[in-house]
Amino acid sequence: MTGSRPRVAATAMIAALALTGCGETDDTPVLTWYINPDDGGQAALAEQCTDEADGEYIIQTSLLPNDAPAQREQLARRLAAGDSSLDIMSVDLPFIPEFAEPGFLAPVPDDVAENTTEDTLDGPLEAATWGDELVAIPFTANPQLLWYRESVAEEAGLDMDEPVTWDDIIDAARETDTYLGIQGVREESMTVWVNALIASQGETILADEQAEADQLQPQLGSEAGQRAAEIISTIGSEGLAGPGVASLDEEQGMRLFQGDNGSFMVNWPFVWPATNAAVEGGDLDEEVLDDIGWAQYPRVEADTESAPPLGGVALAVGAESEHPDLAYQAVECIVQPENQADYFLTDGLPPSSDSAYADDRFEDEFPMAEDIREAIDNAAPRPQTPFYNEVSEGIQSRFTPISGIDPETTGEQTDTFIQQVLRGERLL
Amino acid sequence: MTATAEKNPASRRARQEARLGWYLAGPAFLVMLAVTAYPIAQALFDSLFSHRLTAPDEREFIGLGNYTTILTDPVFGRAMAVTLFITVVTVAVELVLGFALALVMHKALKRLRGLLRTSILVPYGIITVVSAFAWYYMFDINSGFINSWFSWVPGITEDLDWFSNFWTAVTVIMLSEIWKTTPFIALLLLAGLAQVPDDLLEASRVDGATWWQQMYKVIIPNMKAAIMVAVLFRALDAFRIFDNVFIMTGGEAGTEVLALLTYHQTISRLEIGLGSALSVIMFLCVVLMCWAAIKLFNVDLARGTDASSGKGEK
Amino acid sequence: MAAGKLTSKQRVAWTFLTIGVLLYALFPVASIFVTSFKTQADLGSNQFWPTTWTWDNYEMIFVGGAQELFLTALRNSIGITLIATAVAVVLSTLCAYAIARLNFPGKRIILGTALAVSIFPVISVVTPLFNLWRTIGLYDTWLGLIIPYLSLTLPISIWTLSAFFRQIPWELEQAALVDGATQWQAFRKAIVPLAAPGVFTTAIIAFFIAWNDFVYGISLTSTEAARPVPAALAFFTGASQFEEPTGAISAAAIVVTIPVVVLVLLFQRQIVSGLTQGAVKG
Repeated sequence: MTGSRPRVAATAMIAALALTGCGETDDTPVLTWYINPDDGGQAALAEQCTDEADGEYIIQTSLLPNDAPAQREQLARRLAAGDSSLDIMSVDLPFIPEFAEPGFLAPVPDDVAENTTEDTLDGPLEAATWGDELVAIPFTANPQLLWYRESVAEEAGLDMDEPVTWDDIIDAARETDTYLGIQGVREESMTVWVNALIASQGETILADEQAEADQLQPQLGSEAGQRAAEIISTIGSEGLAGPGVASLDEEQGMRLFQGDNGSFMVNWPFVWPATNAAVEGGDLDEEVLDDIGWAQYPRVEADTESAPPLGGVALAVGAESEHPDLAYQAVECIVQPENQADYFLTDGLPPSSDSAYADDRFEDEFPMAEDIREAIDNAAPRPQTPFYNEVSEGIQSRFTPISGIDPETTGEQTDTFIQQVLRGERLL
Repeated sequence: MTATAEKNPASRRARQEARLGWYLAGPAFLVMLAVTAYPIAQALFDSLFSHRLTAPDEREFIGLGNYTTILTDPVFGRAMAVTLFITVVTVAVELVLGFALALVMHKALKRLRGLLRTSILVPYGIITVVSAFAWYYMFDINSGFINSWFSWVPGITEDLDWFSNFWTAVTVIMLSEIWKTTPFIALLLLAGLAQVPDDLLEASRVDGATWWQQMYKVIIPNMKAAIMVAVLFRALDAFRIFDNVFIMTGGEAGTEVLALLTYHQTISRLEIGLGSALSVIMFLCVVLMCWAAIKLFNVDLARGTDASSGKGEK
Repeated sequence: MAAGKLTSKQRVAWTFLTIGVLLYALFPVASIFVTSFKTQADLGSNQFWPTTWTWDNYEMIFVGGAQELFLTALRNSIGITLIATAVAVVLSTLCAYAIARLNFPGKRIILGTALAVSIFPVISVVTPLFNLWRTIGLYDTWLGLIIPYLSLTLPISIWTLSAFFRQIPWELEQAALVDGATQWQAFRKAIVPLAAPGVFTTAIIAFFIAWNDFVYGISLTSTEAARPVPAALAFFTGASQFEEPTGAISAAAIVVTIPVVVLVLLFQRQIVSGLTQGAVKG
C-alpha cells in the first residue's frame, strides 16, 4: 500500500515456502513470486496455483518490504542486476513504466494478454500499459472512497446521495467543528491526493508522460494545479485536519475519523475491515460503525465527475526469468476472477476484474463493493513515467507541510524543482 | 636491532624477517585495500558520469557536473550543517559525560568496578538499530511514555510529536547516539586516567591544590593525548551517523544527514553518478578532518599502534 | 584509589552514583524489553509498564507469522558474523604478530591503512560495492557481506592485537629460537598459548562490530538469502497489515541483544582492557 514510513514498514509474512502439491519432482521449475506484504492471500494463491499446475511448476513466494517505494528499490536493484530469480513480481502500479522502459520486463504473450484482460476495469488496465502495450497483468485495484459520519453529514445538511465536492466537505467541517481525515504526511499519499485533485478536473500532472528525463513537463503550476493546491492549502491553513496533520497517514487518518471529531475521510477500502475488527476487538463502539457511510470520491468541480486515486498491484515477469512462459501461465492462474474475489475477501484488496464483482459473498463483507467497482472504473492512475519516483518525491517535498502551501506559487516551484532534479541539477 | 648489522647472516636474516613480515601481514593488508581503496577509486570514476541504474543506455560523461550540482544545492548544505551540528553536539556532550563516567569508574571501589563496567558495556555492545528503536518507541507519540512522564516540563504535552519537528527529532536522535557511544569514549578516557602519574597528583595534593585545580593543572594536561584521540575518533564516527536517523525519521523533519542523503541518491533514486560524487565528498571530508586534527592539534593517531610496534623503534 | 573505609556520606554518594550509572546504561534496554511483552492494546497506552505481560510478540517471531522472516535473518546474522569474525581474527593475528615482533619495511603503511580504513565512511563504499557485487554475483549472498564486514573488523582487531602482543613475554620466543626453532615454530609453540586470551578478546570486539552492521545489511541484500537481523527489522509487521509492528520489533531487538549481554557479563574485564589497549595505551 502506499504510505507507511520505511522504518515502521512492516509486515509479515507468511511465506509459503513450505511447498505442497503432489506430482512435482526435483527438476520441477521453481518460480519465485516477489509479493508485497499482505495478510497471507498471495502466499495462499501461490500454493493453490502450484497445486493446479500439477507438477508443471512450483510457485514460491519471497517477501518485499512494506512500503511501495522500498519495494520499488528492491525490485529495481534486482532487475538492474539481471537477477534471474525475478519470475513473478507484484508491482505497485505507478512503478510499472520505470521497469518497462529499459526492457526489464518480459513481453506479455498475446494470448495471456487476451485471457487476463477481457474484463479488466479501465483504471488498472491503463496503469498496466506502457507505450500502448500491456506490460504487466492487472491483479488488484484499490480506489479511495469518501467515507463519512452520517451524523456529521446530517448536521451539516449535506445530501450524501448526491455527489459532493471538496468545498462541500470543507464547509461542513468548518460548520460542525470537526476534522477531515486526509493524508497530510510527507509520503506517497501526498502525490496520490494531488494527482486525484488534478485528474478530477480532467487534467494530468505531466504534459507528456512518455517524455525523456530532461523533457518532462510537470504542470502543477497550471490552473488545475493551483486549484488543487488551494484545496489542500485551505485544509492545512485552517487546521481542518486537526493538529496532527503533518503525520496524518492513511492509518492515522482512519483513527481520526473514528474519533469524536471525525467527519469525512478519503481513504482506501481497508478502513472497513479495520473498523469492523476494532469494534469486534472492543476498541471501538458499535455506534461508530453504524454511523459510517461511503460515497464516491469528492469532486473538485460540481459538474465534473471525480477521478479517485488508484492503488493496487499488477503482476510482472522479469525479462531475465529462466521460465517466462511458465511464469505467465502461473500469472494467468493467479489472476483468475475467482481468485481476485477470494483475495478481496481475505486481504481486503479489491479485484481489477469486472466480473469478479458478481460474487455474492461481497454483500456481507464489503457492502460498498459496487461503489468500489465504480470508483476503480473512474480512477486515474498516477503519472505514468519512468521517473515517477522523482516526480512523486518532488511533489511530496513541496506540498508538505500542507499549511505552508501557497496556491499561487507552490505549483510552479514544484514544476521547476522536479525539472531541475530530472536534469541532474538538484538533489532530491 | 638490525641497524648496525653488516655481516651477511644478519642481513639475510633481515630479508627473511621482512619476507615473513609481509607474508603474515599481507593478507590483512590486501583485504583492507580491496574493500576500501578499490571502491573509492570506482566511486571517483562513477562520479564523473550521469548514470541512472534504470536507464543504463543514457549513461553519459559529465565531468564534474555532479559535484557542481551537489555543492550548489542547498539540500547538500543543509545535510552538511545538520551532520556537523550532530557531530559537534554529541561529541561535546559525550566528552563531558564520558569523562564523568571514567572518573566514577576510576575512583570506584573494586567490588563496584565490575558492575559499573559491565553495565556501561551494554550500550557499547548493543546494535545501533536496536538502540534507535528503543529510543524511538520511548518518544513515539503512539506508543511512547515520555510525553506522559514529562508532561510537567513546559513544551511537552500529550500531543507532542517528537519526530515531526527538526529540533525535537534531532534531540532524540542525538540522545540515542550519545547513549550508545559515550561508553566508548569513557573507556578511552579511563585508560587515559590510569596513565596520570600518581606522584604528580600526590605532589599537587601536598601543595594544597583543590579538586578543580588538580583537574585542570594535573589530570587534564596529562590526558591530553587520550582526549584528543577519543574526540577525533568519535567525531569521525559521528560524522558517518546513519542508522539512528534512518530508523527514527528516515531523513524527514529536516534531519537528513550526509550519509542518508548519499543513501537516498544511490539506493532510492538509483542515481549512481550523484551518489558516487556524494560518497567521494564524504570521504574527502573525513580525510580533511583527520588532516586538521593531525596538523593543527598534533593528534598522534598512530601512537597507540605504532608505539607498540616493538623492536623496530626500540 | 578510594581504598579503605568509606564514610557514610561517601557511601551514600557511591550508592547514588552507581544507581545513576545503572539507570543511564540500562534504562533504554529495559524500556524496549518491557515493550516486547506488551499486548497490542498496551502498545498504544503510552505507559511504561504493560497492564498484562504477554509472550505474543515472541511467539510471533519464533513460531508465528514472522518466523520465516526472523529466523532466517537470525541464521544469516549469526553465520555471517561468526565467519567474518573468525576470518578477521585469523588475518589480524598474523598481521599484528608481524607488526609487534618483526622488523620489515612497510609496517607504517599497513598501520596507516588500518587507521584509514577504520575512519572510512561506510556509505562511501556501498555504491561501488553494490555495483561490483551485482556484476560478479555476490549481491545478496553471505560472502557479499562477509567481505565488507572485514573492512569493519580488521583495523580494530589489528590494533587491539598489536597492543596485546606487545605485552607478551617474548623471551619465551627467543628461547625457542635459541633452541633452533624457526620463527614460525616459535610463534606457534611458545606464543600462541599466551596470545590466546588477547585473540579471544579481539574476537568479541570484532563480533560486536559485525553484529552491529546496518548499512551493508540493507544495501547489499534484498532477500532472505542473506538479510541480517538489523536490516530485517524494517520488514516486520503487526498482526494485521495496518498495525504497527512495535511488539514484534521489540521482541526481535531483545533476542539479538541477548548475545551482547551474555558476552558483556562473562567478559567485561577482557573487553575493557581490549578496547582501551587497542586505542590509547602507548
